[in-house]
Amino acid sequence: MDPRLMGFMNSPTPQTESDYSRRGFVQLAFGWAAGAFALAASAAGALRFLVPNVLYEPSLQFKAGRPDDYADGSVTFLEEERVFLIRKGNTYRCLSATCTHLGCTVDRAEKGYHCPCHGSVFDEQGMVRGGPAPRPLAWFLVTLSKDNRLLVDKAQTVTPDKPLVT
Amino acid sequence: MRTEPSLRKFYGWFTVLGLLIGSLVVLGYYKDEFREWKIYQRRYFQEEARRANTPQQHQNAQNLELAIRQIQVPDLNRVDRCTTCHLAVDDPSYGGYPQPLAYHPLHEQHPSEKFGCTICHRGQGRATTSAEAHGAIEHWDEPMLPLAFIQASCGKCHQAADNPAAPELARGQQVFDESGCRGCHKLDGTGGILGPELDRVGARRSPEWLAKHFIAPASVTPGSAMPPQKFSEPDLHAVTLFLLSLTGGGAPGYYASMKVIPSAAEGQHLFQQKGCIGCHSLGGQGGKVGPALDDVGLRRSADWMVAHFRDPQSVTPGSVMPKFGFSALEARALTEFLIRMKDQHLSLSLPSLMGPVERGREIFRKYGCAGCHGPAAKGGVPNPNSKTAELVPGLLYVADGYTKAELKARIVKGQREIPAMDPKRRPPPLYMPPWGGIIKDAEMDDLVAYLISLKPKGEDVGF
Amino acid sequence: MNLPSPLELWRRFQRSAVGRSVFRVGLPQSSLERAQAMVSSFVLHIQPAKTHRHSLKPGYSLGLGLISLYLFFLLFATGLLLMFYYVPSTERAYDSMKDLQFVVSAGLLIRNMHRWAAHLMVLFVMLHLCRVFYTGSYKSPREFNWVIGVCLFLLTLGLSFTGYLLPWDQLAFWAITVGTNIAAYAPVIGPKMKYVMLGGNAVGQEALVRFYALHVIVLPAIAAFLISLHLWRVRKDGGLSRPAELDEPVTQVEAPRLPTAKTYGLMELARGTTPQVGADPDEFVLSWPHLIFRELLLFLLVVVVLLFLAIFWNAPLEEMANAIHPPNPAKAPWYFLGLQELVSYSALWGGVIVPGLLVGVLVLLPYLDGKPRGVGKWFAHERIVANSVFTVCLITAIILTIIGTWFRGPNWAWQQPWKPVAAHTEAH
Repeated sequence: MDPRLMGFMNSPTPQTESDYSRRGFVQLAFGWAAGAFALAASAAGALRFLVPNVLYEPSLQFKAGRPDDYADGSVTFLEEERVFLIRKGNTYRCLSATCTHLGCTVDRAEKGYHCPCHGSVFDEQGMVRGGPAPRPLAWFLVTLSKDNRLLVDKAQTVTPDKPLVT
Repeated sequence: MRTEPSLRKFYGWFTVLGLLIGSLVVLGYYKDEFREWKIYQRRYFQEEARRANTPQQHQNAQNLELAIRQIQVPDLNRVDRCTTCHLAVDDPSYGGYPQPLAYHPLHEQHPSEKFGCTICHRGQGRATTSAEAHGAIEHWDEPMLPLAFIQASCGKCHQAADNPAAPELARGQQVFDESGCRGCHKLDGTGGILGPELDRVGARRSPEWLAKHFIAPASVTPGSAMPPQKFSEPDLHAVTLFLLSLTGGGAPGYYASMKVIPSAAEGQHLFQQKGCIGCHSLGGQGGKVGPALDDVGLRRSADWMVAHFRDPQSVTPGSVMPKFGFSALEARALTEFLIRMKDQHLSLSLPSLMGPVERGREIFRKYGCAGCHGPAAKGGVPNPNSKTAELVPGLLYVADGYTKAELKARIVKGQREIPAMDPKRRPPPLYMPPWGGIIKDAEMDDLVAYLISLKPKGEDVGF
Repeated sequence: MNLPSPLELWRRFQRSAVGRSVFRVGLPQSSLERAQAMVSSFVLHIQPAKTHRHSLKPGYSLGLGLISLYLFFLLFATGLLLMFYYVPSTERAYDSMKDLQFVVSAGLLIRNMHRWAAHLMVLFVMLHLCRVFYTGSYKSPREFNWVIGVCLFLLTLGLSFTGYLLPWDQLAFWAITVGTNIAAYAPVIGPKMKYVMLGGNAVGQEALVRFYALHVIVLPAIAAFLISLHLWRVRKDGGLSRPAELDEPVTQVEAPRLPTAKTYGLMELARGTTPQVGADPDEFVLSWPHLIFRELLLFLLVVVVLLFLAIFWNAPLEEMANAIHPPNPAKAPWYFLGLQELVSYSALWGGVIVPGLLVGVLVLLPYLDGKPRGVGKWFAHERIVANSVFTVCLITAIILTIIGTWFRGPNWAWQQPWKPVAAHTEAH
């Protein structure tokens, strides 16, 4: 064999891109992996960006004044929060005033509540007694705040048998 | 055929750039995720967990979540996020804790959920780092007020002098009035024109600047004509505080209704304003239509009086006293005044009961003449290079030099050019502005009467 | 486990019926497939199947056009995200900027990226313009593409200017006040132009809404269209310019009309000669992967630089805009500072004549200088006059901008940048 060909045969150079060396493969793979990670992280970051951390709506937790501000046996309508604050003895409950039919504000009736929009009727427990409302009115969690105020949390519904007892 | 160029030389670049992007993304994530407020919230959660005694309290402590907390006060157009770090402002059991977990004293009076924080404490409410929130940074004009000056903020909603919980503010207004600052500076439209108006000075100047300005005006305002003031330390503090309260903004809606604190002083103010003396008498002076009010506090209960103010006919059938439409707070203020009148010896300065000289004294005080002519017009205020012994002349002896008409004309016209001792030096900075358009005509006559009366009795200048 | 490699799984999916309906050409494995990938892909087909080696040289084009394009994409993406929180109302704009900084996850990062990408894009579009000039690449057949490029340059300035107002802080408000006042110096139409731009006589709510509309939809839409046109023209004009020596000198002869049955298909409609006449086929390489990979690398580089800037340097936000308290001095955005400096000497020259001449000469340049020599190389000797004139103008503009940025203090008085005169501030 012609000696000049020996060198050629002994160290073949890669001719096509699919024939890359191990080092090149690792470099490429690393690059793609890092790039893919960056892309995924950016997409995740963009999605997280779109989730609001603060809301400009009225807060779901609010203070409803002192326990003593409410007379025994009273049902007080809090207009801004659209709830009823009900005191019996030393128990306090909070009932949603939003009709479960289509969202109107219910009125206090002789006994129970009545919605002026489509005529739903609720009893003292908030259960539906008539009209198109599909579900009973919600009861919200009432606790006592650190500075002795009634703290209502509209994000937490409870059953009416568990009022705040002072 | 030429061989294809190899891309292999770029693989290294690809790796490096990929690595860089990956690490920068991670770095960006950490910078965003690790916020200062989370440190303080975790501290609070730990403290709550430590203090929990009952299972319910333990549960509550577990349920606490990291979140930015904000108070929106739409009427005041503010959003305050201070409670993100100052988590225990409404919890008395945290009294005395180190900041930011301390309880806010007297939280009851102005609950943070109704007022926010920055309306009194200033600072940058929307920020969530301590440096930015406390506001002593570039590009924020309203840094937090040092606690020593916090009473300045009471003036935003309350009348300065009527708030029993802000005595320094009241003292500051008193010092302001007595020193005659209005002689050169307009406030609420009343005052002189030698210096700038003070309606918004509290929003533009820091406490340090204001204090320095009183002591050595030329050091902070080069070329200022203002004479250095000699205040005691407490008075300096009080009047600085009063100026800090002048931020120019009115308080809207709900907050403005708090302008009346039912104090006896406010009651007296209303009594004068509404002209009660037209039908009722005090100390023998006044109208005869209604009963004398001297001892009304001994005869009627507070509740009766409040009801009487709200609807006179309901408690005194056949009464001709009109329904003035007082708010509950105003009624209580008037009641306070009538009840307390005897014990507090509140001096009644009712213009209709005063003689011209007394009225003139009030006008002298109202327009701040003492600022240049000295307390009680005794003089002593420096006016460098003026021929009058380098002082603004006192007014004790004006009766000798002027007739009433001449004095009135002099005040109306003022004197712009003050003769200088040394023409090479800077001309005297203080001059007499024309008060003709500012002091009303009737007031002018009273003022002249007062000034004439200043001459010490029994003195004969003699010639 | 006998699972095939992910690559093999992907290839199997591509060969399936579903895969074939989506991907008309799979990941290319042969040269034929590589050429097909370029031609049949929607995203890639604006680029040719084969690229000339000379065009791939980084030292030739410096990738400046590509960088400008990437910055545009990044600005679009970050801008889109910012739109979810920004409110173009004079009462809420500033507060929404503060919210982005304090309560929005990654808000500060995205805002910083947007701001720095904006400044970089103005810079790189200018650099790209210089590159095209210095290589004579505006000459025939690329004259119209140059004109489109100048329009894109003006659009970039417009986009940056309209976006500058949106934070509604002192910097924004007064920069736009100064900028629109310079525009008002134009003869006859100047004041009217300012009135329509601002929707009134002063910068206020109307101006904010107009600038917002221009910034997020009108100007980007026009820019996107012109960019597509610009890239399409690059193809039609024969790719990036290259020195004439690389090609064989050939007298171009229009092919005789083919006798046809009047099908009006593409072959019948194509007129004139193709730009490939005279090109040496040996000098072409497949775009996939040679062009694509380089473009990808450049994109990664741009993203790295932008991320780096965004993480370590915050975009400025000064006090809220206050019409009664102008800062002293009030300065236009940096790309207009040269003009503002000129205006301080003469309103006529700085506001009207110089900008008018600049834009006019730029637009008409290829029609004024049509000699087809010196194309395709930097600082060609034959173009020494044109290059010198351009360089002098460029250096003058740079000097004026530097003066306006660092050497002008309150009242536009001369100051030494290492001893800045204290600007008038309100407090303390």
